[in-house]
Amino acid sequence: MSALTILLDANVNSSANYFQIGIQLLVAIGIVIVMMVASHLLGPKRSTSEKLENFASGIESHGNARAPMAIKYFLVAILFVLFDVEVIFFYPYAVNFKELGWTGFWEVLLFVAFFLVGFIYIIKKKALQWED
Amino acid sequence: MWTDFLILMKQEMAVIAMIFILLFMKLGRDRSNESFMNTMNVLLLLNLILGFVFNHEGILFNEMFRTSRLIAFEKNILNLAMLIISLQSYSWLKTNKHVPEFYILMLSSLLGMFFMISSGNLLMFYLGLEMSTIPLAAAANFDLTKRRSSEGAMKLIFSSAFSSACLLFGISMLYGTTGTLVFSELPHLINNNPLQLFAFILIIAGFAFKISVVPFHLWTADVYEGAPVAVTSFLSVVSKGAVLFAFVSVLYTVFSPLAKVWYNMLFILSLLTIITGNLFAIRQENFKRFLAFSSIAQVGFILVGISRSSDISTTSVIYFVLIYVFSNLAAFGVVSLVTAVTGKENISDYKGFYKTNPGLSWVLTIALFSLAGVPPTAGFFGKFFLLIAGAGKGNYVLISIAAVNIVISLYYYLRVVKAIFMDANPTPLPSIRTPLMPKLAFIVCVAGAVTIGVVSPVYDYIYSLIVLR
Amino acid sequence: MGTAQILFWSLTALALISAIMVLVSKNPVYSVLWLIVVFFAISGHYILLNAQFLAIVNLIVYAGAIMVLFLFVIMLMNLNTETEPQKSIWMKFFGVVAGGLLLSFFISFVISSADLKGKSAQLKEGEIGLIKTLGKALFNDYVIPFEIASILFLSAMVGAVVIGKKD
Repeated sequence: MSALTILLDANVNSSANYFQIGIQLLVAIGIVIVMMVASHLLGPKRSTSEKLENFASGIESHGNARAPMAIKYFLVAILFVLFDVEVIFFYPYAVNFKELGWTGFWEVLLFVAFFLVGFIYIIKKKALQWED
Repeated sequence: MWTDFLILMKQEMAVIAMIFILLFMKLGRDRSNESFMNTMNVLLLLNLILGFVFNHEGILFNEMFRTSRLIAFEKNILNLAMLIISLQSYSWLKTNKHVPEFYILMLSSLLGMFFMISSGNLLMFYLGLEMSTIPLAAAANFDLTKRRSSEGAMKLIFSSAFSSACLLFGISMLYGTTGTLVFSELPHLINNNPLQLFAFILIIAGFAFKISVVPFHLWTADVYEGAPVAVTSFLSVVSKGAVLFAFVSVLYTVFSPLAKVWYNMLFILSLLTIITGNLFAIRQENFKRFLAFSSIAQVGFILVGISRSSDISTTSVIYFVLIYVFSNLAAFGVVSLVTAVTGKENISDYKGFYKTNPGLSWVLTIALFSLAGVPPTAGFFGKFFLLIAGAGKGNYVLISIAAVNIVISLYYYLRVVKAIFMDANPTPLPSIRTPLMPKLAFIVCVAGAVTIGVVSPVYDYIYSLIVLR
Repeated sequence: MGTAQILFWSLTALALISAIMVLVSKNPVYSVLWLIVVFFAISGHYILLNAQFLAIVNLIVYAGAIMVLFLFVIMLMNLNTETEPQKSIWMKFFGVVAGGLLLSFFISFVISSADLKGKSAQLKEGEIGLIKTLGKALFNDYVIPFEIASILFLSAMVGAVVIGKKD
């Protein structure tokens, strides 16, 4: 049974380790799907047009949910992407911290310094200021 | 070792230092726009002078960074263009709210181009290309209040993202089939593998987008029209020139085994480009769109020169880009000044320009003559050397069609000259007093456009740089 | 068929079906959600090839941050099912034809390429994709692209603030 031998795989760095994560994902999705499908099939079905409307705390809803939104949300999301990429560059450095020694330290420090200057610029320009 | 590294990368270090000086000046106390502009113009002039001294050759970081005297000269041409653009945008920037950001974005793009030109590795090349595109996409939207500007910037972002994706796909397939990214090792590993041919086509598509070769030119007119004039002149001269330098070097070193393949490709692309650029330029009303299509036609001529693949064609391309810097920036400078003062951009607004602004109309006329290729301006010599380089392969069909198209292009350039000098206008543009900085820029551009053609040591100097590389 | 083969084929089917659903969905938000499913399937492929760092980074950055940006653009531009321009049936037909031609070219190049015959990808084992090896290569051989990328991010920040901040 190849599925069981995968669980016994001794190599730490093979992709078989992700098999367990895959099973967990499938179980999680499976539970959600089972709950939704089972409640749909087992429950009573009474649908009137009022029951099918979107719930808005009893108030009647008009029109589309879309309204032009302030651009500050978008700016936060874009700046989040840039700093997220900075964070993922820390992972390879963190794993190899000992081997890379002082040279690696200065390299990463230079990298962080550039981002820090950018961050000070963003703060000075009040780009993340939430209130207008 | 450290000084060695600093001297070899001196131009890049200078641009990085300028970016950080600007950032610290911006983050410090409040300054006026004039102080930023004056500081930047002085720094750019120092940068230009620095490019001429202490030029060494070398390879750094495992072939990621190569420099030679030729590459230093190419970077200096771009520095000169940047200085002229900065001088010319004086009137527009005086009343702009985001002056240091403008310079930071332009200098970041310039830095990316430096790394692209001196790259020896496909990864570094791609990074330089992206670094030159992304700040320009932000800068194309610099006129925040105009809708045209946002439309042009959005088109630029989408098209350049897609073309970068094609380029990267080609690079990854090339890496997959050859196993190396280094320029000096690639030619030995390129056999006529079909996957490598497909990769080559995709890479050519990526390049062709940046230099607006037909049929990848559709972004050019809208972006040039929508962006502010300083950004348009940067896109048309500096971006195009840098990618042309990189294109010539990549095509001749990396893809030399595929020479027969790309010769036919360049033949068809250059014909299409020249003819399409000319046909569309005839009908334009907006001056910036007109200059966009004229620059598309100029690139077609450059492709004629590239098709020979020898030292002579590299020389003629670099020589032509130098001349193109002067003539195109002179034309864009006049447009920039007129747009900043009056806000009018159509060719019909320039009727009767000579009556109110004789100096500016002479500058514009010399620029247009040089772009058209009328002797004794430098543009004639540039086109002449390009056609001679292209004729070396014996393809007289291409040369004769190109020559006929030079005559056709003369029509639309002279149409503007006629409007300036001969057409009457009841409401001509007001008399514009040129401030000192644009005046300096105009003097440099006109001097370059008039003298560089007849001063033959320039061509010989470029040739010597290439032969001794 | 071993586990790896089953996983490969199921992930491939999931990726292709989700990609087609991205194109076919009328509601733009549904397209983005199907695109997220495509990214999960591609990350699964990366894990099969033992490119672990790439798989995780793909999920964190691409499916995490960039799809959020896509959704923001859809909300900002107020794209709805009703406002989608209806393309003519001929455009869709020619689109499919052009895409299919490109696919057939690509498949023919791969098949006729002599040095790819008889080779198979290294599955489940291999040192290249591990985060340790990648870190060593990044900080020893590829330092300059790493630092240049940080300057690129700096200029992207400046550009984003210039465009986004209303003054």
